Amino acid sequence: MDKTKLSTKHLIQGAVIAAIYAVLTIILAPISYGPMQVRVSEALTILPALTPMGIPGLTIGCLLANLLGPYGIFDVIFGTLATLVATVCSYKLRDHDWLVPLPPVIANGIIVGSMLHFAYGVPGLWACMAWVALGELIACYVIGLPLLKFLKKYKHIFE
Amino acid sequence: MIRDITLGQYYPGESILHRLDPRLKILATLAYIILLFIVNEWIGFAACFVFLAAAIALSRIPLPFILRGLKVIFIIILFTFVLNLFMYDGTVLVRIWKLTITDQGLKRALFMAGRLILLIISSSLLTFTTTPIQLTNGLERLMKPLSKIGVPSHEIAMMMSIALRFIPTLLDETDKIMKAQQARGADFESGNILHRAKQMIPILVPLFISAFRIAQDMALAMEARCYRGGEGRTSMTEMRFRKRDYITAAVLLLFAAGIITLRVLI
Repeated sequence: MDKTKLSTKHLIQGAVIAAIYAVLTIILAPISYGPMQVRVSEALTILPALTPMGIPGLTIGCLLANLLGPYGIFDVIFGTLATLVATVCSYKLRDHDWLVPLPPVIANGIIVGSMLHFAYGVPGLWACMAWVALGELIACYVIGLPLLKFLKKYKHIFE
Repeated sequence: MIRDITLGQYYPGESILHRLDPRLKILATLAYIILLFIVNEWIGFAACFVFLAAAIALSRIPLPFILRGLKVIFIIILFTFVLNLFMYDGTVLVRIWKLTITDQGLKRALFMAGRLILLIISSSLLTFTTTPIQLTNGLERLMKPLSKIGVPSHEIAMMMSIALRFIPTLLDETDKIMKAQQARGADFESGNILHRAKQMIPILVPLFISAFRIAQDMALAMEARCYRGGEGRTSMTEMRFRKRDYITAAVLLLFAAGIITLRVLI
């Protein structure tokens, strides 16, 4: 256990990533929730490529944002689950810049799309998935990918 | 603009719902939501409605405050209602050009929209009556058994509490950065969605650098005060199940048993 024990610094880094995710989701609330969401904060899903603390950080950030958001417990459970799956996959793909933003598009499309269909009763399973994935695609590739390139210049802050 | 954002939905109060153990409230909300999906008849649905209405009455939160939460998701409720209305076959009630409203469609649309409303209100009730700190403490305690199988429940809860504490700080920081970039000629308000999305990058990069600097200071401060993880850490307010918690749990179990019996019988 001791070998894997988190240092205080890394613990706080995870917390700060969570807070940034929640802040961005809340500031841009009108477009962050619901079937036609472009959650700018999802651009942060590139972070696992820079630091493994991105995995717990983003998962907790998503949990908090959804807890504070208007969609209720399903978003909290399934949205968070989707983020966890996505960040773990992004971490595994961290050596390929172009592939890093892909897992959140797929995971959120499938998980959040099905949630909208089955739990909230929005008809059209494929349409739900496609809509969510499209929003993610914009956030992750248009913002996320350039962000990754810029943040790589400041890699030392993640150490 | 950023000043207007209310964080969380906590409504301060002294009602019995406010004073219940947060662990019980989290579990009760989950149970209620599962029950909403077990229900498939109008009687059960009505029972769920009455149960929630009673809980709202006990919480002494003004109704307009609760309904305000629904305003945000009004669009999705409407969307669900309208789409379900036209999607099902059955006896035709109304025909408008090529669109038909059937009795099945109307029934299903009402059911889906009603369930969605109960779903949202019930989970809002949890956040209305529980502070975010109580919620994270409750989650930490509920996750404790998981630490036996290697889930770092203390670390997760600690990150949640620190993140909550950082949210107002970072809201201020974001506001400052946006103004600083605008003073340098950045334009966040025009252009299409792709252009606007790209405009976020000059905000995100400085936000990261500043946030990580704050994180470093905080880690140092915590270590200087001998923070060394969850082992042997004590808490100022201990969570304990009281009489009211046991009574609430009993009422909830009876309600659940009733709903499940109804489902089996009908």
